[in-house]
Amino acid sequence: MAAPDMLGSDLPNAVTLLKNLQEQVLAVTAQVQALTKKVQAGAYPTEKGLSFLEVKDQLLLMYLMDLSHLILDKASGGSLKGHAAVLRLVEIRTVLEKLRPLDQKLKYQIDKLVKTAVTGSLSENDPLRFKPHPRNMMSKLSSEDEEDDEAEDGQSEALGKKSVKGVSKKYVPPRLVPVHYDETEAEREKKRLERAKRRALSSSVIRELKEQYSDAPEEIRDARHPHVTRQSQEDQHRINYEESMMVRLSVSKREKGRRKRANAMSSQLHSLTHFSDISALTGGTAHLDEDQNPIKKRKKIPKKGRKKKGFRRRR
Amino acid sequence: MNDTVTIQTRKLMTNQLLQRKQIVIDVLHPGKATVPKTEIRKKLARYTRPHQMSSVFGFRTHSGGGKTPGFGMTYDFLDHAKKNVPNHRLARHGLYEKKKTSRKQRKERKNRMKKVRGTAKASVGGDKRPKE
Repeated sequence: MAAPDMLGSDLPNAVTLLKNLQEQVLAVTAQVQALTKKVQAGAYPTEKGLSFLEVKDQLLLMYLMDLSHLILDKASGGSLKGHAAVLRLVEIRTVLEKLRPLDQKLKYQIDKLVKTAVTGSLSENDPLRFKPHPRNMMSKLSSEDEEDDEAEDGQSEALGKKSVKGVSKKYVPPRLVPVHYDETEAEREKKRLERAKRRALSSSVIRELKEQYSDAPEEIRDARHPHVTRQSQEDQHRINYEESMMVRLSVSKREKGRRKRANAMSSQLHSLTHFSDISALTGGTAHLDEDQNPIKKRKKIPKKGRKKKGFRRRR
Repeated sequence: MNDTVTIQTRKLMTNQLLQRKQIVIDVLHPGKATVPKTEIRKKLARYTRPHQMSSVFGFRTHSGGGKTPGFGMTYDFLDHAKKNVPNHRLARHGLYEKKKTSRKQRKERKNRMKKVRGTAKASVGGDKRPKE
């Protein structure tokens, strides 16, 4: 009872839809016929293309053919059950799905190729532009140097090979005029001042100032004076060397002095009333402690032949 | 406080190239003076076989006393020892006698030899002072 009413209301829609369908089918057939004519005429040569894309093309075409076959059968009232085209469609579909990750991997290459084909040159950010040119490393006097383009790959390679064969000379360092090294008094003063500054920066007064003004959390460490740890490390190194080489090394006067000073520094009461000299930072004159010796300038005495080369570390 | 001398050994290594065993010896002698090397050799001899020879050297007492580390080497055969131990250490054990000619005498002999040619050099010797 309701059925004829529904049919009646649907009828005009159906008629319009069918008319649209007809028009579209006519348009599509015209386009496909034009394409086939072009392909048959050989307007799209694919011998030099990617075989992967060729395979994809063919598969997609076969898919379309099978699909249209099915539509034809369905439209003329047949059933799709057990239709041979369905199996073929499923097979082609699986193959296409398997091709998809390969497609992803090749995407960058294909895009680049297409871009190069369209614009005619590589993009600015292309890494191929930054490859090394050994020809540029040759001496500029012997051969002409051209800013070669990436497109001249084969040419530059051949040229490079030629240059390597022809010009294989020994490396001769450039002969510059020897300059006499003269450490003037001013330079020596500067060096002394720098050393004094560095020493002043690591003094206890400055360190406490730093702690006062820094935002970092206060660290309370049971650490010895840095000079003491340095000396104890050196002593340890010496002991290790002596025990492994089974020799006894002699202690120079300088080493003895360092050791004595390090031992003296480890006595904590000394640091209560003695402050190191920070005149290098404040700009005043160097003040001397009561028990300290006057500041002596040390002359450089050339060291005679060092016997135990393995042990002396370069300072 | 016990006043015995204790010997501790460390870093034992068999040196095949020089045919010996080398160790670091720690001598502990609280309350005593530095132990002489002969005593240390005697104590070491307890751990080595009788025909082996040992030589010890390089003992330095730590400040404050009580501990003296040094080195020791034991040789299986006397021939190996004679080859590999330096002469001054062999002299300590009586296996080497240093020649007693003084330096001046040697130089004078050499200068006398310079005046003579050929095999006569060997017969040059003693002091040929002209008879006064």
